Amino acid sequence: MIVAHEHSGGVFVSRGMDAPIRTDGLRKVYGSASRRITALDGVSLRVEAGEVFGLLGPNGAGKTTLVKVLLGLAHPTSGSASLRGLPVSDPECRRRVGYLPEGHRFPGYLTARQTLSVFGQMSGVDGATLRKRTPELLARVRLSDWADVRVKKFSKGMTQRLGLAAALVHEPEVLLLDEPTDGVDPVGRREIRDLLQEEAARGRSILLNSHLLSEIERTCGRVAVLRKGKIVAEGRIDELTSAGSRYRLVADGVDERVLAAMRETGASVARVNGHFDLTTRDLEQVNAVIDRLRAAGARLQELSPVRSSLEDVFVDLVKAGGETDPKEGVS
Amino acid sequence: MRAFSASVQEVFREAAARWVLIAYFALSSLFIVIFALGVNLDVVNGALAGARLFGQSVDVGGRSIEIDKLVLGFESGFSAFLYLVGTFLALFATAHLVPRLQEKGTIDLYLSRPVGRVPLLLSRYAGGLLLAAANLLYLIGSMWLIVVWKTRVFHPRFLLSGLVILFAVATLLAFAFLIGVITSSTGVSLMATYAVFFLSAILVARERIAAAVSTETAASIVKGLYWILPKTAEIGQATVALVAGKEAPARLADVHYLAVYGSTAAFGVAALALSAWLFSRKDF
Repeated sequence: MIVAHEHSGGVFVSRGMDAPIRTDGLRKVYGSASRRITALDGVSLRVEAGEVFGLLGPNGAGKTTLVKVLLGLAHPTSGSASLRGLPVSDPECRRRVGYLPEGHRFPGYLTARQTLSVFGQMSGVDGATLRKRTPELLARVRLSDWADVRVKKFSKGMTQRLGLAAALVHEPEVLLLDEPTDGVDPVGRREIRDLLQEEAARGRSILLNSHLLSEIERTCGRVAVLRKGKIVAEGRIDELTSAGSRYRLVADGVDERVLAAMRETGASVARVNGHFDLTTRDLEQVNAVIDRLRAAGARLQELSPVRSSLEDVFVDLVKAGGETDPKEGVS
Repeated sequence: MRAFSASVQEVFREAAARWVLIAYFALSSLFIVIFALGVNLDVVNGALAGARLFGQSVDVGGRSIEIDKLVLGFESGFSAFLYLVGTFLALFATAHLVPRLQEKGTIDLYLSRPVGRVPLLLSRYAGGLLLAAANLLYLIGSMWLIVVWKTRVFHPRFLLSGLVILFAVATLLAFAFLIGVITSSTGVSLMATYAVFFLSAILVARERIAAAVSTETAASIVKGLYWILPKTAEIGQATVALVAGKEAPARLADVHYLAVYGSTAAFGVAALALSAWLFSRKDF
């Protein structure tokens, strides 16, 4: 089900009351009385257990603010947010939450092993468990050979993989990841994608914030698009990018008279490199176009649905909001 | 508790890794070595027969000086020096604790853990104080052992001076934390805290300053500031008085120490509470 959110920010999704990640009418306003910036404007979403959920939006859309509010790094102006059923104001809600911030800076003087130890202890994991879990995790992120090397000697990709291990060290139920594949080579990206899928299969709820639409498309089941602090679209990727409105049509004997007849149905028909791009409202309109085409004496050769890429959907949504550069930050 | 203790350990690990701890103890060791090499006393039958201080012969004028009193006088005087050195070194070694914590990319990693903001700040404060206490114990304990070694005179009160110095450090560190939370700058925290240290020392002469200013309001501000700020000069005197005990000069014995300690502690508690409140409300 595709859910288009209205600007009022009302709740359109109701998939269960105990979603591990949940926000209701979340609003965050920064600044003083004279200069207010609304970073989040009535954001409501749910991320269920075992789900990888992607958060999309141009720069300044409010993605990072949303994650910060969920983690208690920023305080909401109004509305509510909860993790694992606990309000985000309660530090206990983060007991089983793993977070990988964008541009994180682990202390350079710590080794990979010490990093997992420090942040594991801060999440309440005891020493014996940490000693057992650390080598397993380092192996999972291919850092076993670097376990006792100081973090300051790590490359960007290695630091990112260590960050992922630190986010997983306390076996979280919820994972909030901000650009997890940033700086990681293609092989490493695939490994991170696989790792996230494994974690989701184990019932983890994952909120993924990334500019890399291709990564989101491959990793996430559902996405939400944020624009100017509001969710403008939300749904499964296959639904968002599904065919149903655009078709590729190939036919013989189509002249201006036939085109005019087809357009009388209200559909948009454009000639493109030997075929026609047909955009319709619904299936009825498709049939009406074909009927007119045949009645005018033309011969249908091919009619195939055109699936949009996530990037197309994203750009269309952002353009609709009047962004000057909808591709800003998209790669 | 595990998170609190991990955060305290982290303060020490960070201090060691960033050479702060090493520089802190190295400077202290330098004072100790200079003291150990510079002070040579010739004690005969419990009395000072001769002395060489930092290479200079001290003329005892043929008199027999009771070594016990001499050591007491020396230790009480030296405690004032240690108060200044100990406080400044401690602040220098710990003022970065909040600004570093608040750096972008670092604060996210800590606050995303199941630890409240106030306990996180307090764990850094506790770590800083423990670091200062360890150094004071090393500095004062070593000095005391050297005095015992050279004179065979035991004055445990000298060790107590460390507690008073730690009290001053605790108060001033709370203020450094407050400035750190507000500005996220180590340099500004240090400058502001040293400014408070010296300003409050100047305000000992508040009556004379108040008499010299042109308006009644300014005079009231000067007197008010004296009671608001920590009593750094009087705490120094308290250190000397504590070590000297009954031998303390009358001018030191006359100070109203309850008011000094009370108002200084109130300043420290207020600064720490305010920094915790601001830290808990801050957006990162």
